[in-house]
Order: sequence, then C-alpha cells, then structure tokens
Amino acid sequence: MRLFSWWLRRALSAVVTLFLVSILIFAASRLMPGGFAEVVLGPFATPEQKAEVAAKYGLDESIVVQYWLWLTTALTGDFGISMISGEPVTTEFGLRLPVTAELALFGVAAALLIGVPLGVWTAVRAGGRRGRAALGRLASGLGVSVPEFVLGSIVVFLFSRYALGLTVGGYVPVGEDPVGNLQSMLLPAAVLSVFVIAVTARTTRDAVLGVLVEPYITAAIARGESPGFIVVRHVLRNASIPVVTVLTTVTAYLLGGAVIIEYLFNLPGVGTYIVQAVGRRDYAVVQAGVLLAAVVFIVMNTLTDAAAGVLDPRFGSAAKGRKR
Amino acid sequence: MTHLLQIDDLVVDYASGGRTVRALDGAALTVEAGETVGIVGESGSGKSTLGSAIGGLLPGAAKVVNGAVRVDGDDVNALGPKRLRALRRERLGYVFQEPIGSLDPTMRVGKQVELALRGRGTKADVLPHLDRVRLKDPERVARSYPHQLSGGMAQRVAIAMAMAGGPEILIADEPTAALDSQIREEVLGVIFSLAAESGTTILWLSHDLPAVAKRCSRVVVMYGGRVVESGSASEVLAAPRHPYTAALVRAVPGELAEGERLVPIPGQPPVLDGPSRGCAFAPRCPDAHEACSADRPPLVSVAERDVLCHLAEETVGAGR
Repeated sequence: MRLFSWWLRRALSAVVTLFLVSILIFAASRLMPGGFAEVVLGPFATPEQKAEVAAKYGLDESIVVQYWLWLTTALTGDFGISMISGEPVTTEFGLRLPVTAELALFGVAAALLIGVPLGVWTAVRAGGRRGRAALGRLASGLGVSVPEFVLGSIVVFLFSRYALGLTVGGYVPVGEDPVGNLQSMLLPAAVLSVFVIAVTARTTRDAVLGVLVEPYITAAIARGESPGFIVVRHVLRNASIPVVTVLTTVTAYLLGGAVIIEYLFNLPGVGTYIVQAVGRRDYAVVQAGVLLAAVVFIVMNTLTDAAAGVLDPRFGSAAKGRKR
Repeated sequence: MTHLLQIDDLVVDYASGGRTVRALDGAALTVEAGETVGIVGESGSGKSTLGSAIGGLLPGAAKVVNGAVRVDGDDVNALGPKRLRALRRERLGYVFQEPIGSLDPTMRVGKQVELALRGRGTKADVLPHLDRVRLKDPERVARSYPHQLSGGMAQRVAIAMAMAGGPEILIADEPTAALDSQIREEVLGVIFSLAAESGTTILWLSHDLPAVAKRCSRVVVMYGGRVVESGSASEVLAAPRHPYTAALVRAVPGELAEGERLVPIPGQPPVLDGPSRGCAFAPRCPDAHEACSADRPPLVSVAERDVLCHLAEETVGAGR
C-alpha cells in the first residue's frame, strides 16, 4: 500500500513536470527569431505568401490557442505532422529511435560490463602499486575530458584512410543486414563508450573506495573473510547507489541522442533530427523530441530512486516515509 | 612453553603525509589462556594499534618495524594471507567501538550472523546465537537491518558474530564507548559471561581504569606505545607502581573519599616520531630525575608486577 502511494505520487509529479516542460518548450520554440514561414519561403517571400503558409499550419492563431490545440491532440497520441516532410511526427521518430536506442544500448552495455568491473578492480587494487593507481587516474581523466569530436575525428580518419574492415558512416538497419549493422555501429559505439566507461569506472571506483574504509569492512576482515567474498557480499551492494545513478543518467542522456557522434558517423538518430528540426522551425518535431527526452529523464530518475530504495534499506524507509 | 599470546618488543610506525608517527615503541605483553585482561591507556597510547596487530589488521600506512606477535606460537606477521584469515576466523574475535557501523547496513542481521557462522552452523543456528547475547526478541532482530537496532542491540549482535566461532581470544576495542551508560554494564556482562562459558580469553581495550579493574583479572597500562605496568587488577588499582598509573588513579572521579581533590595529569601525551629516548612519561612525571629522560626504562618485575620505570624498585611499598 505504501509502495503503491509512492508510485502514485511519482506518477502525479511526472505528469505535472511533463505539462510544465511542454509549456516551456512551446513558448521557447515560438520565441525563436524567425518562424517556419521565413525558413521555407526564404528571404524574398512576400507578406501574403507568409500569411498563407502561417494560415495553412495554424500559426496565425494566438500562441495560447496553438498550445491548446497541440495539447488536446497530443493527449490522443497524435503529435502532429512534420511541416518539412508532411509525415506524422510519430512516424519520423519511429524511424530514428532504433538507431539511437541501439547506440544507447551499446553505451550502457559498455558502462555496465567494462566500466563497473574496471572501477571495482582499480579501487580494490588501490592499495597496491602507486604507478598503477596513477595510470588509472590518468586514463579515466583522459577518457572523461577528451571531447568526443576529437576522438571521433581521429577514428573516422584512421578507419577511412586505411581499410580496417569496419564501415565509417551510414546506417544499416539490423533487420536488413545484422553483420552490416554491427560493422557500421561498432565505431560510433566504441567512441561513445570511451566517455561512458570512464565516467562509470570513476564513479564506481570512488564509491568502492568510500565503502572500503567503512568499519563494517574492517569487521569483515577481522572475521577472516576473503577479499573476494568481502567485495561480493559487502562492497558491491553498498557502493551501488552512485553507480546506478550514473548508469541511469548515462542511459537517459544517450536516449536523448548523441548528437556529435550521430553527426560524425552520419547516423540518422534522434539527436541530429531534433537539432535539424530546431533549425527549420519544425515546431511539432521539436515539441515531441523535447517531451520525449523529458519522459526518458523522468522514467530514469524514478527508476534510480526505486532502485536506491531496494538496494539500501535505510534509503528505502526514508524515501517511502516509513518509520519502523 | 608457548603462550596463548606473546607480544615481544613490538614497534609499529604509521606513515602519515611524509611524517612518521611511532604508535608502538617496543610494547611487550604475554597473555595465558583463560585470562581476562584490561588494556588501559589514553587515546594515542597505542592500545588500538596493539589490538589490531594481534589479528594482523594494521592499516596499509602502518609498518611493523621490529618485534613479533605470536598467537599459540604462530608469528602473525609471518603468516601468508590464507593462514592469516584462518587465524582470524578460528582463533580470534573482534568487537569494535562503533556497533551499528560494524554491521553491513544493507544486509539483514540474521544473514550477517549466518555468514559469520560460515561452516560452523546454518540458518537454524542464527537464533540461538542471538539468544545467547540476551537479545529480547531474536526473531525480530534477525529480520531487522542494522539501522533499525539500538546501539546496545547492534553491539550484542556484533558480540554474537565475534563469538560465533568460539575464538581463543576476544579483542574488544572500547566496545562500550559509544553506548549509553546504563547499557554499558549489560553489554560488558554479556561479553564476560559468554567468554567464561566458552573459555575465551578477553583483551578489553579501554581508557576507563576502574571499570576495567572491576571485571578483569589483570590490568595492563599503556603509555607512549609501551606497556608500563601490568599486574593483578585489584592490586594495580589499590597500589599502582608506575607513576603514570598512580596519576591515572588520582585523576579518576569516584575513586576518592569525600573531600579529596581530583588531580589532573599535567601536560599532553607524547606523539613519537621514533624511539623515545628515555621514559615517555618523564616530562609529565612528578618523580622524574635525570636518568628518566636519558635512558629507556627497563622492565622490572617486583611483587608479581611488571613495571617499566627507573624508580620501580624504589617505590616498592611506598604506597602511592
């Protein structure tokens, strides 16, 4: 029952947040200098032509009326049409979401399967040789701070200059050619993963180092438990909350579209699409894209909080307002 | 013959920020099976370092410069990791100062006790172990997480875990310092009766001389990283031989007759960066003479008492 009311409150606050976000983005997109009519008709259009275009898409109505129309249709699942292509917004996103989702999947998998173990390993080994610890810090520092476009450009150059068996640029849907898909996605995924792995490894390392100095770890050592046993039974769970937080944040960020990577490798993902839509004043697309990103962030945040409650009983009782 | 615990001339340094601090400056102690030993000293006297050294639990910044710790004749510092873990598991038990902090916050208490039993019992044995430390509602405690327990309850759980394997030596490092005063006696009662039941030797590290003297058969006083006096509890308290012990007794409230004044010990305990040249207590000692700050005092055994003082023999019968 308590759990149910917790979820209910989260759902309500999510609805309110989304509503506010939709107003904000609606206002912001209409406040951008230059409207859709200017963009499609070019600089030499007559006022009559502009009025005609505006009337066709309902842009001559007041912004409040426009918002109301958008909101009422959006609630039925209809997010309007792209004014550039004339296709429904949902169809347009449906084409691009798989690309972004696949890239995000690679990124999160790399974070989980490489970043987390790397962080645990470097933390547990921190007591060892100093050189190795410094090397680890340097590597994670570089991974976090080298801009994606630098690393991406190097990779693009190397792999297009020399035939190394991987495709640079372009996207092959999994359904059409799984091997070709993998060949085209491996490079962008790898470039993306460097940052994601570095961030995850560093967060994990800090969390684990923080747990290792806790008195219950000393007590476990004093009971004669082996290092492996201590890491598995006591360290991982106690260090997990910051790691889960960084993982869900990275997921949300990647699902919003990795714009630079998409540009560099010419991938038709969500990120570049939204950026283009902003440039073309394709209002319905911008509106839906931003809302999508907001939904993803809210879902991820809620999952993070729910996970924290499960992982740490102290946090759970606080989050759910439970007193023993 | 082999003693249960034998610490010889143990010297331990801590490296901290390019500086070296000497925590133990030639500590020596021998304990036989079945004894209950109270190790008394101020913060910085080296008692916790001594306690950790017994289980090879010194932190990475610590270095054993000299001396040896032997449990049943095994040199703790020479044991490989596997045998060291076996020593901790089978022959030693530790209880620490911070009761709730010593338990894993994300694991139910029952599960933690079960893990502590490893190989020596199953889930079914958890409740009897909690019952043994006189927890009122063992089933509820077993289902609880540490943060749902009071400090006293958590410390009982920690004691149950430390005693689960029937250790030869229980090292209790200020086990009641974080507890309310009413609960202290109960928790100490649990420790001492459990240890008596299973024939476990107790090493109780404390700064409270009278409390220690009340429960222990032997009192060991530490100062400046050395054991300065060791002897039967009642006698050490009634007739201290070392000037530091004497000063401690005079500084304790409640041990004096009505109208007598508490006498604080002037000055600060030393922070050593190497071997102390003379007696570490000399700068604060009311009876110090030239030899005290020039030569390290030798161990003197007088009247079934070990005293580390140049004046030990002179003060026999002085009735300090």
